[in-house]
Amino acid sequence: MATAVSTAAATRQVRSTERTVGAKRSTPFSYATLIIVSAVLCVPLVFVVSIALSSDQTVNANTFTIIPREFHWENFTRVFGTELPMQRFLLNSVIISAGAVVGQVLSSGLVGYAFARLRAPGKNAMFIVVIATMMIPSQITMIPQFILFKDLGWVNTYLPLIVPNFFSNAFNVFLVRQFVSRLPSEIDEAAMVDGLGFFGIYRRIMLPMLSPVLIAIAIFTLTATWGDFMGPLIYLNDESKMPLALGVQYITSTSQALQAPPWNLVMVGSILLTLPMILVYYLGQRYLYEMDISGGSAGVK
Amino acid sequence: MSRLRRREALWFYLFASPWVIGFVVFLLGPMIASIYFSLTDWDSFTPPKWVGLDNYVRLLTDDPVFWKALWNTFYYAAISVPLGLVLGLWLANLLNKGIRLRKLFRTLIYLPTLVPLVATAMIFKMVLAPSGPLNDLLGIFGIPGPSWLLEAVWVKPALILLSVWGAGAATVLLLAAMKGIPRELYEAAEVDGASPVRQFWSITVPQLTPIIFFNLIMGLIGAFQVFSQVYILTKGGPDNASQTMVPLLFNEAFSYYHLGYASAISWLLFAVILVFTLIAFRSARRWVFYETEVK
Repeated sequence: MATAVSTAAATRQVRSTERTVGAKRSTPFSYATLIIVSAVLCVPLVFVVSIALSSDQTVNANTFTIIPREFHWENFTRVFGTELPMQRFLLNSVIISAGAVVGQVLSSGLVGYAFARLRAPGKNAMFIVVIATMMIPSQITMIPQFILFKDLGWVNTYLPLIVPNFFSNAFNVFLVRQFVSRLPSEIDEAAMVDGLGFFGIYRRIMLPMLSPVLIAIAIFTLTATWGDFMGPLIYLNDESKMPLALGVQYITSTSQALQAPPWNLVMVGSILLTLPMILVYYLGQRYLYEMDISGGSAGVK
Repeated sequence: MSRLRRREALWFYLFASPWVIGFVVFLLGPMIASIYFSLTDWDSFTPPKWVGLDNYVRLLTDDPVFWKALWNTFYYAAISVPLGLVLGLWLANLLNKGIRLRKLFRTLIYLPTLVPLVATAMIFKMVLAPSGPLNDLLGIFGIPGPSWLLEAVWVKPALILLSVWGAGAATVLLLAAMKGIPRELYEAAEVDGASPVRQFWSITVPQLTPIIFFNLIMGLIGAFQVFSQVYILTKGGPDNASQTMVPLLFNEAFSYYHLGYASAISWLLFAVILVFTLIAFRSARRWVFYETEVK
């Protein structure tokens, strides 16, 4: 492991001192293109900030500009006042996402470890089923699941959005299995000789080692549930239960016909929806790249 | 089986039980129920009425909206997915050159993909407004911009534009893969006098085909399931010009309570996704290059 790292570092050093070969040479043209593309891609984001900082008069007159001209920072505190239930939306998002993340991390780690290490009759057939389920679009189960949750009396609660996560997701199981497969099995054997049971091995030895992949799973789950629109749209119709992703849209769709939606506050909501994702990406990218599932296809070909 | 082996198997089933229970309760059971529902006429308030294949027959022969939605979904997938890939590849190639501030450019290009879809839809509602920035920009060049989301001809291109905004996700993956291409290949090509363009087509692209293929499959599956953008921006309008499979399914199920009919749509959606995935895998043998095959 250590040698591989140092070799990689050495190669990198050699590469950086080398004169760049033709295909890699940058030109003023490349810079110009990149600057234009980045600018075009980021214009909508600047526009959002501009709208979020607009006064109510600007909203009513619909005279937004891309570059902000006015700076009504109080819009960011207004949404937490009495005007809109944004505070409630935000709290709901946190509750639902936290529940989902905890569920996926707890269950996927356990199931993935079992598929990687423990031997049992029928395991391989089961794993083929795990892989196969990834192909089934969620829309197939959408209606029966709705009926199930309706019969359980769970509609208009957070439960339909949280509970299924405690039963692991095929992709995450796959990720954990790949990760564990590449850890030397001597670790488990040594632990077993020392008298640890299977759960002990998982809890004390595996779980700490799994942290990069579990953090990655947490990030995937968080981004998926935080931005999820369809799930809350199906299950939550009470405004006080809605997460931000649904609430932001709900505000625009329920404003009076003659009155424009409060676009400035809606965009503040959109920014609140986006900022955690940027933060999560910023803090978590290390784990997403470190996870490196590309090389770990051993055994699934 | 030895006692130890039996104990190990028992622990396996115990550890795997969350998945097994989830599979039965949230997937297998619902799938079987969904097949049954799709063969009934059911509004969820009165007992389901068996109608056999009627729902499927009606969808395929007697529902112009379904065909329109199917066509729109194809249209959307056929343009947005390749366009996103081509742009992603082009941007990754630009970033892969010995460029200064690469990290900054990469971040700026990736930033839009971090915006949750709901927020993206809100943003594009404003960007695509008749007097929004996009039309202002077109105005500079003397082009009168259309009312994107209100005109049947322009609503699909508008949704495609929105999807292309997220091309940065593919760029990051492709860029990572590009860095893994052995440098010697380029050096050898350089010695042989291959131009940068030739190097791109003869080395970079073939080496990237596995990751391009992965993006293609994921992109297609995602495009066939497009929902939030359509639902928030247009509700399928005007005149169903932007209606796609999943919003149609959603409306049938949760607005009209045609649960049997909607279940049939979900199975047709599955069939479409399956067919396209199989076609992609079939064709992959011809153009996807795996290094392991040569070793």
